[in-house]
Amino acid sequence: MSRLSALAGRLPAAVVLTDEAALLAYSYDGALDRGRPEAVVLARSARDIARAVEFCAANRVPFTARGAGTNLSGGCVPLRGGVVLAMAPMSGILEIDTARGLAVVEPGTVNLELQRQLEGLGFFYAPDPASFKVSTLGGNIAENAGGPRCLKYGVTTHHVLAVEAVMPDGSVERFALDDPGPEIMSLIVGSEGTLAVVTRAWLKITPAPERIRTILAGFPSIGASVECVSEIVRRGVVPRVLEAMDRVTVESVEAYSRAGYPRSEAVLLIELDGSAEQIEADAAEVERLCRAHGAASVRSAADAAERERLWQGRRGAYAAMARLAPNVLVEDGVVPRDRLPEIVRRIQEVTARHGVVAGLLFHAGDGNIHPNMAYDERDRDQTRRVKSAGHEVLQACVELGGSLSGEHGIGVDKREAMAWLFSPETLSLFRRLKQALDPDNIANPDKMLPLGAGGESPRFFRPALRPLSPAAEGLVERVGRAAAERRPMAICGSLSRTGRRPAGLLALETRGLDRIVELDEGNLTATVEAGIPLQALEGGLSERGFHARLPSGGGTLGGLLATKAWPGIREDLLGLRVLLSDGQVCELGGKVVKNVAGYDLARLLLGSQGALALILEVTLRLHVRPQPIAPIQPPKDFIPNRWHRAIKRAFDPANLFNPWIFGP
Amino acid sequence: MTRAALERLSTDLGERSTYDAASQCSRCGYCEQACPTYVATGSELKSPRGRNQLVRLIWEGGLRDPAAAEQALSSCLLCGACSTACYAHVPTADIVLEGRRRIGAHWLARRLAAHPSWLPKALKAALWLKRLGLSRLARPFLKRLGLKGLASADEHLAEAPSRFLCEELKERARPLSPAWLYFAACGTHYLYPRVGRATVRLLEAQGPGLCLDFRCCGLMAYNYGSLEDARKLARAVIEGSEPFPAPVVADCSSCAAFLKKYPQLFLDDAPWRTRAEAFAARVRDSIEAVGSTEGLTPWRGGVVTYHDSCRACHGQGLAGPRERLKAVCGGSWRELPESDVCCGGAGAFAFTQPELSDEVLRRKIGRIAALRASVVLTSSTSCLAQLAHGFKKYYPDATVRHLSEFLAERLPNPPPHGT
Repeated sequence: MSRLSALAGRLPAAVVLTDEAALLAYSYDGALDRGRPEAVVLARSARDIARAVEFCAANRVPFTARGAGTNLSGGCVPLRGGVVLAMAPMSGILEIDTARGLAVVEPGTVNLELQRQLEGLGFFYAPDPASFKVSTLGGNIAENAGGPRCLKYGVTTHHVLAVEAVMPDGSVERFALDDPGPEIMSLIVGSEGTLAVVTRAWLKITPAPERIRTILAGFPSIGASVECVSEIVRRGVVPRVLEAMDRVTVESVEAYSRAGYPRSEAVLLIELDGSAEQIEADAAEVERLCRAHGAASVRSAADAAERERLWQGRRGAYAAMARLAPNVLVEDGVVPRDRLPEIVRRIQEVTARHGVVAGLLFHAGDGNIHPNMAYDERDRDQTRRVKSAGHEVLQACVELGGSLSGEHGIGVDKREAMAWLFSPETLSLFRRLKQALDPDNIANPDKMLPLGAGGESPRFFRPALRPLSPAAEGLVERVGRAAAERRPMAICGSLSRTGRRPAGLLALETRGLDRIVELDEGNLTATVEAGIPLQALEGGLSERGFHARLPSGGGTLGGLLATKAWPGIREDLLGLRVLLSDGQVCELGGKVVKNVAGYDLARLLLGSQGALALILEVTLRLHVRPQPIAPIQPPKDFIPNRWHRAIKRAFDPANLFNPWIFGP
Repeated sequence: MTRAALERLSTDLGERSTYDAASQCSRCGYCEQACPTYVATGSELKSPRGRNQLVRLIWEGGLRDPAAAEQALSSCLLCGACSTACYAHVPTADIVLEGRRRIGAHWLARRLAAHPSWLPKALKAALWLKRLGLSRLARPFLKRLGLKGLASADEHLAEAPSRFLCEELKERARPLSPAWLYFAACGTHYLYPRVGRATVRLLEAQGPGLCLDFRCCGLMAYNYGSLEDARKLARAVIEGSEPFPAPVVADCSSCAAFLKKYPQLFLDDAPWRTRAEAFAARVRDSIEAVGSTEGLTPWRGGVVTYHDSCRACHGQGLAGPRERLKAVCGGSWRELPESDVCCGGAGAFAFTQPELSDEVLRRKIGRIAALRASVVLTSSTSCLAQLAHGFKKYYPDATVRHLSEFLAERLPNPPPHGT
């Protein structure tokens, strides 16, 4: 208490709790981890937060923000004590503007509360984590939460327009999507409270669809059901929801809620929305595909009440497992959609070997898997086996080209696993970034990143990366040499947007980076080199029957990203491979549509104008049907602020890339 | 032999030790928004998950000072909404009570434990003062004596009956093989005899029945006093009903729910457990026993809505008889949003936690006012007192009635007063 005794003096008495019961009640979240804070601030306003954080910054006391505490990866457990900033009391919906399609909320607002308010207005807020009845929007933003509906509508980052945040030094800033320069807002979304504390958010709201149809299909095996999922998406049907459940899950749900699921080995819950005509056509296609994959039963929910029952069952699937044993480890991995059958086999093998029971529950359309393993934390051996099984499932996901987390975050539980997915160079970039924004390491410390050097697990080795093209290798070498001489460089694409080649700088031509590296038809993604002209890319894709959401016109893909001339690109951006000004290559994101492992540096680079890194490769989500495109925006003047400068130092401390952007 | 706590609970997943029952909470947090005190405060300490964790820590010896949990545990409404929301139906209310018993919670508990007959006496005295019109004068005096709770209890009670219910019912005929047994709750007995009269009239439409001699069901002792007292009272209630093999109807949902839970008091006492189980199987909440709406005079008046008493919907899994009310009220019927959220009355809660209770009450009144309701029906006497108090303070346009009263008034050919 001693180092915090002055905190109480800065805030009203009822706001700061320091009694034993309070400290214990804020020492856990939805997972197993524990950490006891030294004080709890029941925040009522951004001012309370700013005051508390100012105090923490002045005294180097760690702080951890917490919403409803439903986190499943230990993200809001205060590992180093300090102050828990409890945001739940800040729960006001400040504004809903249907004309502009936005809602302004305080971070403690419960997701469901916003949904309720919007329902009457004919709108909805798309992200719908299973915990949406209790979890807060601030927590959803910190974790970049997903949910069943994000197959069609995207995850939280696709629905945030701006945030007001208290930074680790106690200053209050606002970061918006349409700010010029690197997308700091996107960096904060999903950063698990390690970079800033969001105190207000401007969220995108979506008009409710004309109609919704819910279809339920019973399959003879979980394998058959996920093969069907792949096929549905590949045929160009984009359901709003595509969920798979196995028998263990269905039975525990039925024991609680009698939702009315068929008692088959696996069930798909498929939901279509749109115009009546479109739904009819898609439903017929879905039914045909289900039957073709062996579905014995395919039926639609008769009315709203039945639909609600089915959803009650689905949303409760994780909690219903808690009837089997006191604790449930809900693992959260992602694989490319067409690798689902393989991950199912791997999960079955791993759980059998460790003697644990797993209920399978997949956001199958996204390739996001949740094996739910019930256990009793008081049984040490069982807990160890469950944890080992969870880790092995994650390793399998990484091996299959997926990710460590689709929506639950890294927190404490998976921080060591980050070294399975990311190279030492990328991890080091993450660390530099954290250091740049939070030099005293007080914002939710010891989360997201491996402690220590981040050495690889002795039993698991990161899958080898695809080799770079000769053109890319050439650039790496060129940058490496220039870095050694501390020679400033200018990144040159087609020069269609910047117009001129700056004099006196070493030119890095990306023109040779023009290959479509991989077109994954099963997963509906393309990895392409960044120097490819947009027209060539479009031509190459449509030749094979696919579409990317890209504007027509001149220029290269890399230029489009770096100038953010078309902000819509962020919707389909999955991963980047970038070259730093010291010659190191880092991989950001991946090739799965849901991925919350690590900081979202791919989106941060949007609008960075080549001043942070050179983009070598881009991975985009593809579509089977042509996509509507909004017009290109004229560039805005970018004047870096101190946060931009801090980020620049993390990427390019010697200001070697496009040095004029940040000035001398 | 006498233990302060039950130590074994009957749960949805079977019989469990208190510690195992609390450990069944996986901390998923799905209960949080169901909890009125969490919604009102946003504080984990006032949430079901927080309370379960603290009780678990008390059993594990993880609290340096177990009394530190007092505030968290005494601020629980015991409404049970969290158990309904919980997929494992973790019985948080029972777990909280176990925690309170371990740490010897608050003044009411200590007083009741020392003097089990104190409450009825105090109530009688307060009502007597009220009838004399002196209670307003007595309030500051009670507060100074440290009986702030009792002073606010008096503020809650807008009415004072001239005669306790059972003094009236004693005069009734006693059939040899009754079709039903009427159990008068303390609330109906002491405060709302009109409710009891109405329930009895409704039951009479189903044949002749018997009014059991008045006895407290033991809920107050279970919640605030000693388990031994609760068991003593329960045995007396069971014994009193055993000569007559008929359904036992209670018109306060809190009591009805507790009567149905009698077996939990005797988990380690085989003979009494058997008798308690047989008794519990015969108990009916009055809202289950109201009969059909045929022949009832339709309601012609303002908007009618229904507040589900917690111990009916969460304690017994019973919803109010919506279809029947729709039939009687026609276009005046409205469904109340959040009808199954506690009003903040919760037995003695309104007196022990006045600020929190008022916060919860205001939300409830807000929902009712938004409907522009003029009549709110419910089934627990503590809701009757709390809502009447809330209407007087915040929304004088509405009145609260027990479901029995509302239906009995619509019976054809009302028999003369006093039956």
